Amino acid sequence: MEWFNDFWSTYSTLVFTVGVHMLLALSIWLTLSCGLLSLANAAFMGIGAYVSALLTLNAGWAFPTVLLAGGIAPALVALVIGAPVLRLSGVYLAMATLAFGEVVRITVLNLDITGGPEGLNGIPLATEGWHIALLLLLAFYGLARLRRSKVGRAFEAIKEDEIAARLMGINVNRYKLLAFVLGGFIAGIAGALNAHFTFFISPREYGFEPAVDILTMAVLGGTGSLVGPALGAGILTLLPELLRFLHDFRSLVNGAVLVLVVLFLPKGIWEPRRIRAFFRKGGQA
Amino acid sequence: MKLTRTALLLTALFSTVASLPVMAADIKIGVTEALTGGAAQYGVPIRNGFQLAADEINAKGGVNGNKIQLVIEDEQGKKEEGINVFKKLIFQDKVLMIFGPTLSNSMFAAGPVANAAKTVAFGTSNTANGITDIGPYIFRNSVMESDVLPVTVATAVKHYKVKQVAVIYGNDDAFTKSGYDVFKKVLEEQKIPVTTTETYVKGDVDFKAQLTKIKGTNPDAVVCSCLAEEAANIMLQARGLGIKAPFIGGNGFNSPKLFEISKLAGEGTFVGSPWSNANPAPANKNFVAAYQKKYGGEPNQFAAQAYDAMYVAAAALKDVKLSGDLAADREALKNALPKVSIEGATGPFKFRPAKTKDGKPGGWDADQKPFIYQVQGGKFTLYTGK
Repeated sequence: MEWFNDFWSTYSTLVFTVGVHMLLALSIWLTLSCGLLSLANAAFMGIGAYVSALLTLNAGWAFPTVLLAGGIAPALVALVIGAPVLRLSGVYLAMATLAFGEVVRITVLNLDITGGPEGLNGIPLATEGWHIALLLLLAFYGLARLRRSKVGRAFEAIKEDEIAARLMGINVNRYKLLAFVLGGFIAGIAGALNAHFTFFISPREYGFEPAVDILTMAVLGGTGSLVGPALGAGILTLLPELLRFLHDFRSLVNGAVLVLVVLFLPKGIWEPRRIRAFFRKGGQA
Repeated sequence: MKLTRTALLLTALFSTVASLPVMAADIKIGVTEALTGGAAQYGVPIRNGFQLAADEINAKGGVNGNKIQLVIEDEQGKKEEGINVFKKLIFQDKVLMIFGPTLSNSMFAAGPVANAAKTVAFGTSNTANGITDIGPYIFRNSVMESDVLPVTVATAVKHYKVKQVAVIYGNDDAFTKSGYDVFKKVLEEQKIPVTTTETYVKGDVDFKAQLTKIKGTNPDAVVCSCLAEEAANIMLQARGLGIKAPFIGGNGFNSPKLFEISKLAGEGTFVGSPWSNANPAPANKNFVAAYQKKYGGEPNQFAAQAYDAMYVAAAALKDVKLSGDLAADREALKNALPKVSIEGATGPFKFRPAKTKDGKPGGWDADQKPFIYQVQGGKFTLYTGK
């Protein structure tokens, strides 16, 4: 048990970060599974983080309510901007959502209550391991159920062919909005969790770079299933830590691994069909 | 013959074994700096400063016979990395204390971890307000803008007989924004009217709109809370538009490169800094020479503060009787640090207790006087007030 205590006191934050990144990867998986290339998740995470941190610092709400508020706030924002933005598709949607992210970042920069560019500090530690584990489990279970439901089938149909889906009587706009809002909700909760174990948040953590990072996690792991994004998030978070012994070459090797994965496993690391084929051929392929 | 050789070998072996306990008595000190990423431009000179001081101390026999062993980790200027590295150093490497991290943001995130683990975290480059509010285990020898800027402004105002100033600053960067807040307060306190306050965002290259407005208000000096990248363009474009007023700069101006790029546009600028290359004190001369010899480049303010911080820690360690019980030793070091006063590369240094917002006992800030420079011929020249 002692080795576990040692391990936990050193690496608990890392484990927390893995969990939060898994939630984020799942949140973007939701929009991707509906054929939407939305890059607003970092901004949603930021809204969740700021709303929850401000509620904790100024209003003194209990942590569960704070978490819920951190999820609902970005979901409401998603609901409002979703209607106009989701009329776009492909690269145009990516551009519009990135622009939305910038709007959020600059708004936070110029407000007094958010501390402007200096951010918010002194956020009390409230997140515990089981909070993240439980919420992650809930997200997994919920999304797995969703996939097998009518809604999941509709997402799939929209992703494969939007016009065909429309012709089959699926209310495309409504389902897209649902994916967008749910994604915002999960990302917001992830942001709220993150804010309550890192003591400090600032606007630059929710800009362009994290938006792309979140997408990379999902794509690296593979967007064909729920395991893929979680795996990608785990790898992208742990790899830099595992490579710490390489000192100056750390970033280089980290980047090289990513390039190799993308080159040789274009559908992501977790691709059930390829893995099954691998075992059927007895490790030949 | 053969016997003697065996005997010799055996003695050699035994002496190595015997020297092992001495190795174990090394004082492990963690260094957490941004060595890669955007903040590496600060983190690398800081690491060099620590390394230089530790090597010098060890070459002179260490502290009370114990060698200092640095455990250096990269925190990439990111808050999660800062926390991870702090935890690794505290719980796994079991260091006595930690220097760093580089950015104030990382300290806001990682500082509470060290404070909760009752381990000293000693920042050498964190200038943000509220850093030492984190708790009694947080120390810094970086001089805050609120200690530097009043002196800079007062000196410049006296020298140029300034009656009114214009202000320009970057409003989306933590560093330039907090610098502006201090400038604003200082200008109010010293009752200097501000003709106009202009802003820009990071990455801007054209400042003519703001500068034209500034020119129209006819200020006697331009106060600029800017990073070096933007400051060069601001000064060059100001001269292009015919603004003759001198500049008064914040900590971001502390870059010799800036005045190389801006050539004569920056002539006459006033800047305050906790360290001066030209400081004739022997400690500083030694430092500059040793740094140039070891790293082949000019040291900067960040390297100097790191170098001094190591000597501050060494001075405190001299008074600590290391018991081998890590928790007790960490506590003893925390109690010994505030009593230290040294003559370092940045001049005479001592700590003063931080004033926290909520009245709880806080950490320890630097109690130090800044140097005021005037730029002459594209170089920083120590202002003596002729």
